[in-house]
Amino acid sequence: MAANRSTSADRRARIEEMRRAEQARERRNRFLTIGVSAVVVLSLVGFGTFVLMKKSDEEDAKAAAAKAPISGEKSWDAAKLGRNHVETAVKYDMKPPVGGDHHPVWLNCDGDVYDKAVPEVNAVHSLEHGAVWVTYTKKAAEADVKKLKDKVSDTPYTLMSPVDDQSGAIMLSAWGKQVTVDSASDPRVDAFFTKYVQGKQTPEPGAACTGGVGADGMGGAGMGQ
Amino acid sequence: MTGRRTRYAAVTAVALSVLFAAGAVTVASAEREEAPRTPDSASADAGFARDMSVHHQQAVEMSFIVRDRTEDPAVRRLAYDIANTQANQRGMMLGWLDMWGLPKVESGTAPMTWMGMPVTGDAAGKDGALMPGMATRTQLDALREASGKEAEVLYLRLMTAHHKGGVHMAEGCVQKCSVDIERDLAQGMVDAQESEIALMADMLRKRGATA
Repeated sequence: MAANRSTSADRRARIEEMRRAEQARERRNRFLTIGVSAVVVLSLVGFGTFVLMKKSDEEDAKAAAAKAPISGEKSWDAAKLGRNHVETAVKYDMKPPVGGDHHPVWLNCDGDVYDKAVPEVNAVHSLEHGAVWVTYTKKAAEADVKKLKDKVSDTPYTLMSPVDDQSGAIMLSAWGKQVTVDSASDPRVDAFFTKYVQGKQTPEPGAACTGGVGADGMGGAGMGQ
Repeated sequence: MTGRRTRYAAVTAVALSVLFAAGAVTVASAEREEAPRTPDSASADAGFARDMSVHHQQAVEMSFIVRDRTEDPAVRRLAYDIANTQANQRGMMLGWLDMWGLPKVESGTAPMTWMGMPVTGDAAGKDGALMPGMATRTQLDALREASGKEAEVLYLRLMTAHHKGGVHMAEGCVQKCSVDIERDLAQGMVDAQESEIALMADMLRKRGATA
């Protein structure tokens, strides 16, 4: 009997052991299934999300490049810049002026390069028509001035003139916008032209850069309009 | 005999994530293959709208000048027609650029690059003639100085050359532009300006001159 009891106890122990092994295997398998599927799910979701985000990033980058502010650019609230036509002197808050009341006749800005200072009251009217105004002081390098003159004369709706008492050596202005650049090859020159030559800031889109007043101070066809 | 529920849950989760990943790839690649809804900045559509606006503007300017320099009704009427037509067409093209969210100038890109024939060279040498057919500043000044028949002949010659350059560029858009309404406008420019070139040849002959 003792032997029998011991045999049956052995068998129970073996069965118990096999059951434990079976449970352990099941646990292992369950962890494996959960683990592997979690990895698969996470990587697929991660991949899908990456694909979608990359796509939208590409679109955002394009939109952002077009809208990106130009480094160092100053802006004025266009709603507060006067737009009246006056034939009296006007005191502007910034130099060169980027907006405000101005003379009835615009300064020709069809790629016009002026070698002498121009009346601010006429140039401001050109900015209202969508022109970019390039100004420089005696501190600007001769090569830079030459390069900018070439660029301006190749670009309708721009004009250029010296302004001796401005803060920067080379400055670019549009209606309500202004930036000082380091040189003619500063990438902000192209950026400013692309953004503001007849750009969104233009108060009077479609208005002319010809037929105004020229270097000789004589009015053209549109004189007095 | 791994818990049946565990296995179901795992299979379902994997299946759903496969669907999500496949969906994401489909969405992203489908949008990429579709034609862009609006032309981009380097397209012929944008390039033509920009360059022809500049080209047209000079024709408008020349026409205003000659109207101040002669009393001849035929030349004044032609100039009136050209100034109105080209100013309006210019407005259409600039309006499209606005609607497409594109700049009016792509600074640093030579004119007519979109046609595969960029206009480059010494800026000073061009004297304001930025594209084929355009008059130089010197020629415009000569027109401002001339009067009567001399102004008429000069205008007709300058405008004939201007139209020839314009027709050539408009043909480029007819071939390359993707926006129907813009291609139609370009074809309209080709037809109208070719007919005006013939008219101007006739007007020059009547004034004892040729183009």
